[in-house]
Amino acid sequence: MNIHKLWEHREYMNVNGMMLTSELISILQNSLTLLQVENHFTHVQYWGQLYAVDADYHIAVGIDNDAMLDRKYFYTTDFKFWGLLPRAKRRYKLLSLLTTFPFRGDPTLKIKILDEALEENHPDRCQVIKEESRLAGTISNICDEAEICARGQLIKQPDGTVVINPNFYGLTGSEAKQLKSYLHIRPSQQRWNTNLLSRQDYNYSMDFLDSIDQDIPSGCWNLSLEQGGSVAYLKSLYWPGMTYFHKARTPDCGFLYVGNGRKNLDVPFLL
Amino acid sequence: MTQPYMCEPDIIAATENVMPDLNTDLVLAKNFLKQQSAATGDSLYDHLVDIVHKILTQKPPDVADNFEQYSWAVKQEKFRPNFDLLNDIYLSPPQLSIVRQMDDMFRLVASKSEKIDMMGEEEQELDLEEDNTKPQVADLIDHNYYFREGGYGLPASECYAVYVALKMLSIKEPVATVRFFGKIFGTKANYYVAETDLTIEELDRRIREFELKDMPGEGEDIEEKEENEGEEQKEMLGEGEVLEDKNKEPVPPKLPPVPVSTWQPPPPIPVERPGQGINKKVFWVCNVPGEPWVCLPDLTPDHVRVARLTVRCMTGDLDAEIQTFPPFDGTERHYLRAQIARIQAATSVAPQGFYTFGSGEEEDIDMEEGMGDMEFNVNPYYHGHTLKDLLDPNLTYWVHHGRHILKQGRTIWWNPMAGMEEGLEEEEDEGPPPPEPESGPTLLTPLSEDARVEGLSAWTARRSSSLAPERALAVLRSNLWPGAVAYATDGKKSECMYIGWGLKFQPPNFSPLQLPRPQDEYPVGPEVMEMADPTFADEEAYRIAHLPPPPPPELPGEGEGFGEEEEEDED
Repeated sequence: MNIHKLWEHREYMNVNGMMLTSELISILQNSLTLLQVENHFTHVQYWGQLYAVDADYHIAVGIDNDAMLDRKYFYTTDFKFWGLLPRAKRRYKLLSLLTTFPFRGDPTLKIKILDEALEENHPDRCQVIKEESRLAGTISNICDEAEICARGQLIKQPDGTVVINPNFYGLTGSEAKQLKSYLHIRPSQQRWNTNLLSRQDYNYSMDFLDSIDQDIPSGCWNLSLEQGGSVAYLKSLYWPGMTYFHKARTPDCGFLYVGNGRKNLDVPFLL
Repeated sequence: MTQPYMCEPDIIAATENVMPDLNTDLVLAKNFLKQQSAATGDSLYDHLVDIVHKILTQKPPDVADNFEQYSWAVKQEKFRPNFDLLNDIYLSPPQLSIVRQMDDMFRLVASKSEKIDMMGEEEQELDLEEDNTKPQVADLIDHNYYFREGGYGLPASECYAVYVALKMLSIKEPVATVRFFGKIFGTKANYYVAETDLTIEELDRRIREFELKDMPGEGEDIEEKEENEGEEQKEMLGEGEVLEDKNKEPVPPKLPPVPVSTWQPPPPIPVERPGQGINKKVFWVCNVPGEPWVCLPDLTPDHVRVARLTVRCMTGDLDAEIQTFPPFDGTERHYLRAQIARIQAATSVAPQGFYTFGSGEEEDIDMEEGMGDMEFNVNPYYHGHTLKDLLDPNLTYWVHHGRHILKQGRTIWWNPMAGMEEGLEEEEDEGPPPPEPESGPTLLTPLSEDARVEGLSAWTARRSSSLAPERALAVLRSNLWPGAVAYATDGKKSECMYIGWGLKFQPPNFSPLQLPRPQDEYPVGPEVMEMADPTFADEEAYRIAHLPPPPPPELPGEGEGFGEEEEEDED
């Protein structure tokens, strides 16, 4: 969520049982605006919260020129010091899915992860990584699978950079009811023209991302309309705690994750 | 080629030998721009006019950067038909149906409160006496304020509607106390859940119904079934005889008797009566505040057992089918009721001393029934704990006030041997030893005794505010049932609420119940055991061992016959 709109958007987020308290918003706006100035970001967004045993992690995203590739993630436990999350290596992403125990709240903590799929005596069976790396891996996983935007919110410019659309007027009421109107914020994993071919009103500058209606299984996204159908909420069953809201016909939208950083592997049984 | 580049008018001018002229250039350029495109019939000239017009009227910032956007928007507007001009159809806003329901609800509650006002002036004394019979609705708005301070809770818009809906419930239905339990998400719609106690009259009525329906009914059913089975078997036998009589020539092979299953279902665990154990509270649900509340049915132990073995998302439709293994006997309303009971049992917490056991007399009665069903009430002498105590990570200052559900699916243990004890004594201990009564933690046990989840304690306590400690309150969130929260101020307030999917956190993940091993069809003996096939070497050894003995050298005339006979014997 855009940190300068947290006060306006807190009521929307509250629908799913999560409330940004006044104190949290005040502190976030302060420290994140400072962070924005220090790093010369064009946008700073509050990404969410990860539950840990001793102190919860709060995550923020700084966006520079490119809204998709140029994202920098920061974490903090005390709002005084925002640490830059390392780039998530493939190894971290895999290992963070294997860990079963909760986050501790100490980024320097070294944790051991046992990969039970490997044989005994395999050198990679038990690996040691820092909790910071695990955090980076988890967040990268969530971003890949659950971070989404409404169609038209991000546009690709002719020079190839992706920017947050300043003239985004929101989806129409009927568009907001379709999963097809919401796109993953990640480099496209399908062929570049999949999205273009599957809709009539295609637009090269908008339809360069994967739409979420192609995720498997088909019920893994929960779209609900609240407040008389004017606000659409998207919740991922894979990542409980993730919420995306969009008020139709307005540019109001936001993503928030509040949870324990565990992927729910039971989705096929739930439906 | 080093020819200088020539513009079109120049070429025209060159060919027609006309001097280049600004006016003709302009006309030519305009003509070009006004060319209609073959596909849409649009011309660039009109389009540019529209864009410039739009930009000048709307005056947006950074037009140069977003020019493509504008061009696209203008084109899109052209294709958007304006229905209002063609035919005067009024499209009602989508909120209409909800608004209608809300309106009915508001009217009902308002008329009721007016009546109470009228009554109040005339019969104030009577009113005081009647206070006990008037339903008590927990002050959701007040509690929600504290939940929101703590970072959870309902949004203000929903909270008020739910509160009025709770009042409507208390007016329409025979309930004594009403409390908001929480909200459970579904894939198509959400459930708002209210937790109530019934009035004494209604409870008596339900208990009578329950006793009439369940006690004599079940026995008859079973007997009838047995009788039916018996009859069926007889019929089968009878048919067989008739067949034998008719076709005498081909004698049918003698079939072994159809095996009769010796398996007997374990005696069904009796349902707890309304107002007792897991059915102590009655739950009502609705999809949208304002809809009529639907009463959830009473819970049976079997529902709890199956719900514990499965995971499933609610759909939002109470009559949806539940497809699980082991099979669930009921629709989504039973499943929802089971999940609510499990959540309520596990996540009802309050600071120590907030609730106290009932007066001495009641305790004596309840002790006989078992510890599971003790009465407790709000402690009028509760003074609150300091925040430091409430936030203590050991959580010794928080206690459960939800009744623990035993493995049986009841809160009060039921002895399956109770009815058979007399018979067993006669048979001299042939049956299994009498089972040990299951027991869970008693009521008002501290949270510090909860089982841990993967090295994480079942609850996490957080302080709501660090900048304003005098306004801070303690917030507890459950790690076992994500979505369950409780708060307590250092004063006298405390409440718990659940907003979530109704799913338990099961690390590392859910694994479905395996199918039972198939039963053996016959006793395994040596004649059905599998053996290794003989190898060529084995066969050769056998052949050599069983070779006919070499014919005796004398008596060549009779030798052959003798030999043949011997061979036959060998075979």
